[in-house]
Amino acid sequence: MIAAVQARPALRAALVASLVLVLEWSRALVAAQPGFTVVALLLGGIALAAVAIGLPADRLGLGRSRLGLRLIGGCALGAVLLLPAAVRSVTAPLLPAGLAMAAIAVSIGEELAFRGALYAALEDAGGAPLAVLGTTLLWTLAHALSHPPEFLPAVAAAGLLLALWRWACRDLVAPIVGHAIADLAL
Amino acid sequence: MRKLALLGVAAALYAGAAWSVAPGFYDGFGPPAPYNFTCPPPQAGANQKPSSGHADIPVTGGVSEAFSAFTDDGQIVIGFLPGAFLAGGKTTITVDITPLDTCPQPSGIRFVTNAYKITASAALNADKRANLTLRYSNLEPDPASVYQATDPNGTWTEMSSQPGAPFTIVTTTTTFGYFAAGYASSSPPPGAVTIGGGQLLPIIVAVLVVVVVLAGLPLAVMRRRRS
Repeated sequence: MIAAVQARPALRAALVASLVLVLEWSRALVAAQPGFTVVALLLGGIALAAVAIGLPADRLGLGRSRLGLRLIGGCALGAVLLLPAAVRSVTAPLLPAGLAMAAIAVSIGEELAFRGALYAALEDAGGAPLAVLGTTLLWTLAHALSHPPEFLPAVAAAGLLLALWRWACRDLVAPIVGHAIADLAL
Repeated sequence: MRKLALLGVAAALYAGAAWSVAPGFYDGFGPPAPYNFTCPPPQAGANQKPSSGHADIPVTGGVSEAFSAFTDDGQIVIGFLPGAFLAGGKTTITVDITPLDTCPQPSGIRFVTNAYKITASAALNADKRANLTLRYSNLEPDPASVYQATDPNGTWTEMSSQPGAPFTIVTTTTTFGYFAAGYASSSPPPGAVTIGGGQLLPIIVAVLVVVVVLAGLPLAVMRRRRS
């Protein structure tokens, strides 16, 4: 069974996409229940990260080569993601410790799942264009239950930017860092 | 070079999309701002009915005292200065705040708060404006303005408003009626633009830019020398 799935990249990509969507939607539904927010975010982040288990680090875009540049890239992505809100001078209260931990867990989990495992599966199935567009589409769909419809174009554009970085720099460290900075700040 | 250009285009696209809805990039981790909706959005989860409020404002020597009226859930607060009412011989002035059972959807306006009816047993003194604060949820885009109407199904007028404490918007009024906060659905940028407003986010972004420039340039030079 596992061998059959591994031999068919399109089937593997479809399975990974379904798994990631179900995990994100479940996380969003549970997190909306009073008292379950932090637990749902933490467990959801861990579950999403688990989707990438078994894939080699270089397939996920992870690694320690050019680490300085990757971290600076993450700061640059964080700055771009926060810039519209910063210009607008949005009031952004600091997160409590529990929510901050949850935000970091979900940032890492989402990046490993979408721009890591799902990107790799879609790239195997149809090349980089499918990986970039497919992860952007599924990333947007995944946020449909947790975000008002007005937010979804911004979510899609952020997903496209992060996926293009993953493709252009073959790097997932910067999207993880940028995503975590943006989640912690806003 | 092509990759860099694509990244630049994606960044510009993001800036445009994020500018069209305040606060922009938002992954839902802000401290929850609970809100009792009349018409809850699908992502609201469990929801309670919004509360009403009542205040009896004493009048001493023909002058009404400084007072605040608010709903029990604190979603709307209206504050009055001393002598804010034309008391006209009354010893007490009553103020009532009632959330509407329906959600008005006037053309060209998208409300993100409930609509509230505020009534009082005396009119306001036009020289002593009442301070009105509406709280909103972080499940909805930030409102740009408070709107007022004399009839919820009639014309809603935009009031001069400004952001208050997190998740609140503030305005002043000299008349009672119906109030709700929202934004003009035809104008893309809800949220006041106040560059350099002394908030935390601009500082974070400035620090990130400085880190990128200060650390990135030496790294780029080193890489160029090595190659």
